[in-house]
Amino acid sequence: MQPEDRAIVRLEGIHKWFGDHHVLRGIDLELDAGEVQVVIGPSGSGKSTLLRCVNMLEIPSEGHVWFEGRDITDCRTDLNAVRTRMGIVFQAFNLFPHMTAVRNITVALQKVLKVDGREAKERAMEQLTRVGVAGKAEAYPGQLSGGQQQRVAIARALAMRPKLMLFDEVTSALDPELVGEVLDVMKQLAEEGMTMMVVTHEMGFAREVGTWLIFTDGGMVVERGNPTEVFANPQTERLQQFLAKVL
Amino acid sequence: MEAAVNETVRETTETPPDVRGPTSAWPLSIFVAGWIAITLAVVGTLALQVARAVEGGLITPECQAAGLEVNKSFGARGVCNVVTALRSPAETTLLVLALALGGAAIVAGWTTYKGMDTRRKRDHAIAGAVLGVQAALVAAFLLLFRSGSLLFPFVRNVLNFTYLRGTFHLFLEAAGRTLYMAFLGEAGGIAIGLILALFTLSKRRVVRAPARAYINFFRGTPLIWQLSFFYAVFTLGVGLSVGTVFTAIIVFALNMGAYLAEVFRAGLQSIERGQMEAARSLGMSYFQAMRYAIVPQAVRRVIPPIMNDFVVLIKDTSLIFVLGVILGQEELFGVGQEGYSSTFNATFFVGTALGYLAVTLPLIAIVNAAERRLRSGLVGIAGAA
Repeated sequence: MQPEDRAIVRLEGIHKWFGDHHVLRGIDLELDAGEVQVVIGPSGSGKSTLLRCVNMLEIPSEGHVWFEGRDITDCRTDLNAVRTRMGIVFQAFNLFPHMTAVRNITVALQKVLKVDGREAKERAMEQLTRVGVAGKAEAYPGQLSGGQQQRVAIARALAMRPKLMLFDEVTSALDPELVGEVLDVMKQLAEEGMTMMVVTHEMGFAREVGTWLIFTDGGMVVERGNPTEVFANPQTERLQQFLAKVL
Repeated sequence: MEAAVNETVRETTETPPDVRGPTSAWPLSIFVAGWIAITLAVVGTLALQVARAVEGGLITPECQAAGLEVNKSFGARGVCNVVTALRSPAETTLLVLALALGGAAIVAGWTTYKGMDTRRKRDHAIAGAVLGVQAALVAAFLLLFRSGSLLFPFVRNVLNFTYLRGTFHLFLEAAGRTLYMAFLGEAGGIAIGLILALFTLSKRRVVRAPARAYINFFRGTPLIWQLSFFYAVFTLGVGLSVGTVFTAIIVFALNMGAYLAEVFRAGLQSIERGQMEAARSLGMSYFQAMRYAIVPQAVRRVIPPIMNDFVVLIKDTSLIFVLGVILGQEELFGVGQEGYSSTFNATFFVGTALGYLAVTLPLIAIVNAAERRLRSGLVGIAGAA
């Protein structure tokens, strides 16, 4: 890769319509390796849609998504191959309920990356250990707490050895006392240098871990910058109002 | 503090009326009375029948008067036994007892259930009264029925079990053929239905349209027409001399495929969208996601309706009779129909019904067990998460 093209992800003029509903109104973003991009904003502001556009779960109506120097909005792109290099963790966990925790992880390793069974299992156990749920490897999702399920989901994404991790409000569905264990895993990941894009309502996490922060409202980026500075000194009235409500 | 508040409330308000009413006794005895009444009427009657059949007996004068003679009318002894047992003093005692006990349970349950001080007692009182109603209805019907002049012709034509002597192996083999056809038809239907269901869920209309046309055609025409038509097509149209059984299995599979496609479609659509997104985000193709994430979950959810359709198909195999089955190759209905047309005695149909029930009742029990397990099992837990 060219040294000047260090960006892992670059979004250019992303627009998204759902029918007549204009959800994203021209969003630009750039994220280098090892950086953590935090996205905050009121509900309905298009944060999740923006994140889902990055791995093309939502196809942008307009604009380009560049990933590792390639335009993946080009319709000739093999999205399946792209997605093996880009993990996502969902608000609702979305673990496969008919598979054990470890099988949740090995299935894609074996069927997509064609890793052989034993190595897949080793990689799965390695990730389960990393997120602290190795003891629950043989449990089904329904037998795990929300926090454990979400950590298995993170392990599932990490086992693919992605270059970029997307987190879509991953603590929003959790009981308050389980939020910490998931955030700790994410902090640890950030410290290890993972490139991350995080949609969250956890302002403390945003300030502590974020390299960059954007505040979106009405499908547009209203404010952006270093999280500490943005929080300390919000420039717009909309962000001031938002922070007054959530802090 | 709280106690003080309660004190003042109690002081300032009137004592509310005791809405529970006085406590009644013996709810369990009402329940037991109901049970005994229905048992006397049903089990007692059957037991008397069995006892009389085992004990045997000569043709009674009453039977002779009705025209039953050992060497003249077929199964005279069996018919006479059934009627004699039904009209025996023992049966009279049973039925009167059932009627009396049932009536007592109705009156006692109905008048006391509101006064029961626990829900369990109230349920016992109500259940006892309901059982009493059932027992009284059965006993009254039997009392009336056995005294009628139609009893002899009815038993001779419908419950003349001597006709079924030595036909057990016929019914057994027929049940085997019924199950064989239904099983192969269902298996083919599952394969066709799953593929059709995947087609109907395609985002492309050109893929959906033919699948929908197929489903609508096979759901929109009667199975009896499909059997006749495809048999004609195979034999006359294409010139294949395939047998009726083969044709039937093919048609059953085609027909079931249409119904099961709808079952599978509903099952696949019931899987949360996030499952597909999670699978795709791990780099799986659409078909990999279907195969490893969606279909296994959907199949679990549709096991009960699939087995229901299997029970329906077991019964629908009887329609093969329109193709004119070769003698000795009949399924259950065929055996009954064959016996009936050679003797004009409807007892063969009773035998057929018993044959179907012997096959379907265990299956229905399995369906219900599967439904219970699904509701409390893995899928249920995951669905709640």
